[in-house]
Amino acid sequence: MVLEQTKTEDRAAFDEGPLEEILDSFSAQEGAVIPILQRAQQAYGYLPEEALRMISKRTGFSLAQLYGVATFYSQFYLQRRGRHVINICDGTACHVKGAPRLVTTLEEELGIKAGETSPDYRVTLEVVYCLGSCALAPMAVIDGQVYGRLVPEKVLKLVRELD
Amino acid sequence: MPDVHVTIDGTEIAVPSGSTVLEAARIAGIEVDTLCDHPAIEPIGACRICLVEVEKQRALQPACTFPVSDGMVVHTRSEKVVGARKFVLQLLFSERNHFCMFCQMSGSCELQNLAYKYELDHWQFNRPMPTYAVDASREYFVMDHNRCILCRRCIRVCDELVGNGTLGLKNRGADAVIIADLDVPFGESSCISCGTCLQVCPTGALMDRASAYMGASDQVERVKSRCMGCPVGCGTELVVRDGQVIRVEGDWDAEPNKGLLCVVGRFDPQHEVRERVRKPLVRQGDAWSIADGEAAYGLVAEKVAAAGDSVATVASGFVTLEEAQALGSAVRGRKFYMYDLPQTDRTATMADLDEADLFIVTEMDLSLDFQVAGMAVKRGVRKRGARLILVGEGENGLADWASMRVGRADLAKVIAMAKSAERPVVVSGPAGLAAAREIVSAVPAASLASFAPGGNGRGLCDAGFGQTYAGDAAKVTVVVAGETSQVEPGLLDALKKQEFVVVVASYREPWDQVADVILPMPTAFEKSGTTVCADGQAGQVVAAMSTRVPTLEATIGMVAEAIR
Repeated sequence: MVLEQTKTEDRAAFDEGPLEEILDSFSAQEGAVIPILQRAQQAYGYLPEEALRMISKRTGFSLAQLYGVATFYSQFYLQRRGRHVINICDGTACHVKGAPRLVTTLEEELGIKAGETSPDYRVTLEVVYCLGSCALAPMAVIDGQVYGRLVPEKVLKLVRELD
Repeated sequence: MPDVHVTIDGTEIAVPSGSTVLEAARIAGIEVDTLCDHPAIEPIGACRICLVEVEKQRALQPACTFPVSDGMVVHTRSEKVVGARKFVLQLLFSERNHFCMFCQMSGSCELQNLAYKYELDHWQFNRPMPTYAVDASREYFVMDHNRCILCRRCIRVCDELVGNGTLGLKNRGADAVIIADLDVPFGESSCISCGTCLQVCPTGALMDRASAYMGASDQVERVKSRCMGCPVGCGTELVVRDGQVIRVEGDWDAEPNKGLLCVVGRFDPQHEVRERVRKPLVRQGDAWSIADGEAAYGLVAEKVAAAGDSVATVASGFVTLEEAQALGSAVRGRKFYMYDLPQTDRTATMADLDEADLFIVTEMDLSLDFQVAGMAVKRGVRKRGARLILVGEGENGLADWASMRVGRADLAKVIAMAKSAERPVVVSGPAGLAAAREIVSAVPAASLASFAPGGNGRGLCDAGFGQTYAGDAAKVTVVVAGETSQVEPGLLDALKKQEFVVVVASYREPWDQVADVILPMPTAFEKSGTTVCADGQAGQVVAAMSTRVPTLEATIGMVAEAIR
């Protein structure tokens, strides 16, 4: 279901090299599914179907088991993500300080809904619930970097500066 | 293992250490209700129906997974336990769609039975009533996620017993859903439609298309019999209502299959589309006429009497030992078996397959033929870490389980690997038999499991049908086919060249292409007799339905009568 949304041309370009190395480094360990999936996601930005198939073949875990692990933990992604990931916090403090306005602004700017990735895979926009920096509300994390006391103009500027 | 002493509901008993509370209770003769537990698979404690009170434990514990210890005191029916079970049932009923009156399992459902037993007469909790898709992408059975209670029996049998590992669970908590592979429709997945999941599903989530709404468990009888489809010889339980077999299930107590069946044995008989032969048919040019009995048996008698010893009798694997013996003593001439002969130098039993550390499968695809033997190979690889070497080229359904594939020319390499294995088993069909024998003769530890097509090949060989039919010329050729549908085109071509062909068969096709007379024959559901499996073990075929179609013995008698 989720996998179908990855375009066919992207699949054709699947490079086995990085995953080969990851699998080799875990070949002596049994049951290392989660670290393998984490490393694979680091390498590819998400978990492409080809990667899951290759992991299944090499580790003996069934496709369904791998899919189960990948959907159990919210840290794993089965869809290709953007080069840049924007997490807008919509926890209580950020919410009352105007986070919904930041979300609407970015949705309009990028032409996508929260939770989606732009068609050119430049940006993934996500809403999260409390990142633990309520003093900076409303805040966002863009590519791992924290930005506080945001207003729509400021968040627009930050996003437009992304390559 | 040393015994430990436990007290369950006031009864003190000694049980082997390492037992679970559930096992201990069963030894004590105390019934503990379960739902996700199934005797054929490992317990996982998913459903919490079997909660019991263990003294000195803070919380109630699931009996199916909790190990006993010395001096343990357990209460299985205390007020606290009963209340907890009711609560668990209320939660289960609140999750999805459990409106029993619309469900084909009503009356046979383990969840419903528990609800009656624990007197659930209302919904205690609001129901979110999520709607899930119904997956009807498989030919023989349907999955309705709305009735699923996530007991995971299906996932576990697919993994532990069938060795296929198709099924899994996606998401978490209340959003969890049974999936196949990477969440694709079941019909497009690696599922082999063996139906083991269908057989263990405690609710109506998995539905057999053929027998849905045909009879609840108290309206049916169960007859233990044996499948004659192939020489694995699986034990079956024929589910019968009003004289009709409505469903075939695997017999959990039977060797060699221990409850498993393949798609052919479980579903094919219920989905048979060929025209049944109930009265003798006589060819008139290109047309067929239903003959009155005397005329047809008279015609056959006349031809047989005139042929003298020039009679060839060809039996399929659907002929029982008793039928073969009756043919042997009544019909003159030469006796043939329809397929390649079964091999008696076979040394491995199905139990050996379950202990092998190396499987060598020569020139055969165990996902297509002898599937239940293939399941033993798959679960050996998946669950015990056994290795699988496939000898021979071409597509093979077991390729994903194989650690190595080699050509026929690389046998030396295979032999070297087999020598270092402790319990290598070579599995072969007729095509790979030469290679298999070469390996077995070079490796003393290796045993051979050979399979040839046809259910009762071993029995027929014993009864004198010890030659493969190769179109041998005879004035009268008698084909005793039963319900055989797998027929080589070569066989039909050879029969077309014969002078006069009598076929005794349950179904008209494909014999109406070659026969001059077709006489009726009971199916394996309608007759009793003996069938001999590939490993030499005899199994009993037991009639579950009555029929007006004469037995083979009666047909032989009528022909003999007409000759006189």
